[in-house]
Amino acid sequence: MKLLKPSWVSHNGKPIFSVDIHPDGTKFATGGQGEDSGKVMIWNMAPVLREEDEKNENIPKMLCQMDNHLACVNCVRWSNNGLYLASGGDDKLVMVWKRAAFIGPSTVFGSSSKLANVEQWRCVTILRNHTGDVMDVAWSPHDVWLASCSVDNTIVIWNARKFPEMVTCLRGHTGLVKGLTWDPVGKYIASQADDHSLKVWRTVDWQMDANITKPFSECGGTTHVLRLSWSPDGQYLVSAHAMNNSGPTAQIVERDGWKTNMDFVGHRKAVTVVKFNPKIFKKKQKNGSSPKPGCPYCCCAVGSKDRSLSVWLTSLKRPLVVIHDLFDKSIMDISWTLTGLGMLVCSMDGTVAYLDFSLDELGDPLSEEEKNSIHQNIYGKSLAITSTEAQLSTTIIENPEMLKYQQERQNSAQTNIGPGCAGPESSAPKLNSVMNGESLEDIRKNLLKKQVETRTADGRRRITPLCIAQLDTGDFSPALFNSAPILPSGSSMSNQLTSQLSSDSSPGQASSLGLRPSHDPMLTSPPASSIAKGLEDNKDGVKPCLLLTSASKIEPMKALDSRFTERSKATPGVTAAISSTAGLTPLDSRPKDGISALKDIKSKEDTSSDSEDKMATINKNLSFSKRKPELLMDGGEVVEKRKKGRPRKEKMAAPIAQPFTQITPPAEREPSRVAAPPAPVAALKLPTPSIKKAFSLQVSMEPSVFLEVENEVSVVAGSKLSQLRCSRDGRDWNTLLPSSVVTAAGSSDVLAVACQDRMLSVFSSCGRRLLPAIQLATPVSAVHCSSHFVMVLTAGATLSVWDVQKQKALVKNESLLTILSGADSTVSQSLLTQQGVPVIGLSNGKSYCFSSSLETWTLIADKGDSLVQCADFRSCLSTHDAPASSGPLAVMQGRNLKYDINIKSPILNTSVFLQIKCHKEVSLKNLSGPCSAGRLASRLSSTPHHLQQSMTLAFLENQLASALTLQSAQEYRYWLLIYARFLVNEGTRRPLFKVFTLSRD
Amino acid sequence: MAKVQVLNVAVLDNPSPFGNPFQFEITFECMEDLPEDLEWKIIYVGSAESEEYDQVLDSVLVGPVPAGRHMFVFQADAPNTGLIPESDAVGVTVVLITCTYRGQEFIRIGYYVNNEYTDPELRENPPLKPDYTQLQRNILASNPRVTRFHINWEGSADKMEDSENVDPSPNISSMLPPSCIPGKMPPLGLMPDNSMDCM
Repeated sequence: MKLLKPSWVSHNGKPIFSVDIHPDGTKFATGGQGEDSGKVMIWNMAPVLREEDEKNENIPKMLCQMDNHLACVNCVRWSNNGLYLASGGDDKLVMVWKRAAFIGPSTVFGSSSKLANVEQWRCVTILRNHTGDVMDVAWSPHDVWLASCSVDNTIVIWNARKFPEMVTCLRGHTGLVKGLTWDPVGKYIASQADDHSLKVWRTVDWQMDANITKPFSECGGTTHVLRLSWSPDGQYLVSAHAMNNSGPTAQIVERDGWKTNMDFVGHRKAVTVVKFNPKIFKKKQKNGSSPKPGCPYCCCAVGSKDRSLSVWLTSLKRPLVVIHDLFDKSIMDISWTLTGLGMLVCSMDGTVAYLDFSLDELGDPLSEEEKNSIHQNIYGKSLAITSTEAQLSTTIIENPEMLKYQQERQNSAQTNIGPGCAGPESSAPKLNSVMNGESLEDIRKNLLKKQVETRTADGRRRITPLCIAQLDTGDFSPALFNSAPILPSGSSMSNQLTSQLSSDSSPGQASSLGLRPSHDPMLTSPPASSIAKGLEDNKDGVKPCLLLTSASKIEPMKALDSRFTERSKATPGVTAAISSTAGLTPLDSRPKDGISALKDIKSKEDTSSDSEDKMATINKNLSFSKRKPELLMDGGEVVEKRKKGRPRKEKMAAPIAQPFTQITPPAEREPSRVAAPPAPVAALKLPTPSIKKAFSLQVSMEPSVFLEVENEVSVVAGSKLSQLRCSRDGRDWNTLLPSSVVTAAGSSDVLAVACQDRMLSVFSSCGRRLLPAIQLATPVSAVHCSSHFVMVLTAGATLSVWDVQKQKALVKNESLLTILSGADSTVSQSLLTQQGVPVIGLSNGKSYCFSSSLETWTLIADKGDSLVQCADFRSCLSTHDAPASSGPLAVMQGRNLKYDINIKSPILNTSVFLQIKCHKEVSLKNLSGPCSAGRLASRLSSTPHHLQQSMTLAFLENQLASALTLQSAQEYRYWLLIYARFLVNEGTRRPLFKVFTLSRD
Repeated sequence: MAKVQVLNVAVLDNPSPFGNPFQFEITFECMEDLPEDLEWKIIYVGSAESEEYDQVLDSVLVGPVPAGRHMFVFQADAPNTGLIPESDAVGVTVVLITCTYRGQEFIRIGYYVNNEYTDPELRENPPLKPDYTQLQRNILASNPRVTRFHINWEGSADKMEDSENVDPSPNISSMLPPSCIPGKMPPLGLMPDNSMDCM
């Protein structure tokens, strides 16, 4: 075995997530992180294989790089016919690339690297359906389908003969799907996900055939990818990360009954990638020994997070070889050459390694005929049988795609006989020139005179550009080989590059070529090479040194540099872009996914009346049933409270992408002070913090603002002075206050300090006093700041919120008695959202927010709510939506909900919960009709679904309304998505229609 | 993914007398038919010190743009000398070519420009008041600085799909961050922080 790490294969040190060797073995692709985008690179294989080629400067190493993915590329895969390259990335897209018909630019315009793109690969289609990062893509045998899997928990099967048509979307995983593999026989596709399962799906009806969970139950979602692999004989499927006796393994799943009795053990950390050698081997016959018919075996490479690589033969009990410390970071992908003797491995550390095996080590690869006969013997028909058309035609046609494929194969076989068998590579370029034989040079000379310039109605110049070449995109049918490329003489644009990198390109073609790949395109260009000419023009035209030697001008040049990168002021969105970096809440800081949160909220506002009515009735029902005891005390008021809040429109314009500050009231933060003697005023309901000599707190992380308070620093004329010191991003300021500071709070914008003399002072975080001191009626219980809002909770149980920027009161001395009455509960938590919505959590588990537009308290969360306990929407959760768990709603609802989400068997637990609940209260009366607790429980076990569905719906609708009132755009979106998914899963069409009408406008 | 890729910009008539019009031959490729025109602008930076002296020399609409490769020559008059600070007339400045689609700038191509007297006599002793007739404009065409911005190609500017996409994406690593510029604040606009802290 030979091992090589070609250092020139790199993404400038950025991680390489995927590697794949072209079926013809002449090149390979890598995918990973680029400078500011995802990056796909295509490399020449020859310099990897042969040292002399590596040293020969005329042989290009990098063939092409594509920066088109907006975010990191997780997977690159060549189609089996080698015509296409598919790439999937964090930008939720799958791109399919094809060798371009005509030469593109030899460099990326303006790129600092002068490396030429020797080959041009053009994105011919973008597949959009995933709502999360695409983790793996896989071509089916014979390239009938392309499968992609994503962190949105789905697998999408695309029609590879008719992109971007989608065949189906496989749903069933409840976690991030991180790996895919097709059965070589063509019957199945297998996927592995973070939900501790490996699922096998049938290609006949796209239904799940097997769900294997046992070996994965101990697994944590710690690996970036879970690239599993199917053996070339179809008999075994080997998973990535599995656990056996708390040791990481690669689980072997037998095709026969999906048995999981064997595994590959030995890696110290999770297995990230498994890749079977495409060849089947048999034992090498030793000279002299009797030709004993050895059993054929497969070879499998396993890469792990422990940075080591192991290679196994299914005939051996121990690995053939284990290579430690090959990389500095986790192995991410493995690709074998089609010959079965070479292997490329890539790592998160940004390097690749090439392993070269000999026949002595691996054995004799079976010929295609022998492999076919194995498949024939085991399966009768198999897509892996490759040799003749006759065999394919005997394959059972399991679906229309296969029929179509078979017909196409027969057609192309016929056309192949016709105009000489050109390989797919050389025939791929197809040019549609529109230049009528005129050379590009002629065109360029007269372009200014000839180009059509008109004036628009408002007097602006409008130029019609000259089209110099059309694109040949969208060509997915197997290439018909009779279309000879039109080559206008002397035009480099139309020159095509031979695919062969060696010098054996056909001489007839070569004569018409402007560029030869083995040469520097810029130097060898014939007179008419336009791009090279353009560059030469530039070179001739200027004397760069002349420009750059004027030392006196270095300063302004630095200043000028910024002009290159800054967008012009006129461009809309520029302020948003800048303010977003400044950590404010601009319009564009929205959740990543398709529908923007803002849109959601807006559309929510436009709710059609009937849906709103329905929601309202549900809410009423709920509040009635759930809160009966309170109803008795407060009369009709409770129903009133549950009315859906309609927050003001202008506030909606600021979505809540920013975190809000949340400070637990001092009473809770320092338990010692809870017992502090109540302040003298008799009407006090809420505890007040005691006065400390000194305290400090950090009020903001970005910019970092620290606050330090020292009481009674000096006594001047009988009054005790307190000092307030603040440090903002290293800059300090301090001020004096005439009374002892009780409590303080702050955000990145404002600081609020409450003093013993019931004065509230508000400062900007830079030290300017923003308001004269505010006199409060009773001592302060808690102060919060968030953005430019200040909230004060007084001991007299009143709440005030001011908008410091507008110098306006949002909430004016609102009494908490409404929510405190009837229960002997106290305020346990209070917070202020980034939008200035005050939220109060009570010790009885209920949380309220005061809607300033409705001027009323609204219940946003109730930990004792039976609906919370009974709602089951786990199947609709997708883990990548998790960020919403940090919103104000999630904070107030606390861990209760989260715990509930984690319960594994929904129905069982629900019934248990229900039994408990029913004994406690008659909360479910309205939903299930009058019945005793016991009967309810028994009914539930027999027909739980209907009831549970209603409860879940009610719960989700509650959540939506609460998120809306809190103006928590992210959470609203989160719950709306779950709501929509739930409706889809449950097949409830009518309310779903409602969701659609909501989100459309 | 950007629908329009600029493949090449050839600087024509360079170097040239200061008063000659700018001429750029722009080659670009479009992935699919664009329903709306592209808007190209040439901006002459009059002074490095302030954006105040930026002059938009011209702006043109380019369309219709079907899928394919296209080229055109963008010609614009020389800058108005009256708007250039005299101290900045001679020496290095920048000319920018920007392209916007649906009001969103997606590419910015910058060139250094050197304005110098051709006459060695004048070079040694430049007149106090710049003599524009004697100045030669030399665009450093071999070193374009290209900055690409991700924009929303489907909608208008107010529907940016992703905050990540807004960040400028310079593909030149040697670029200085804007904060390095003395005396020039980024246009922070309506930041409440700013308005509060003007002490």
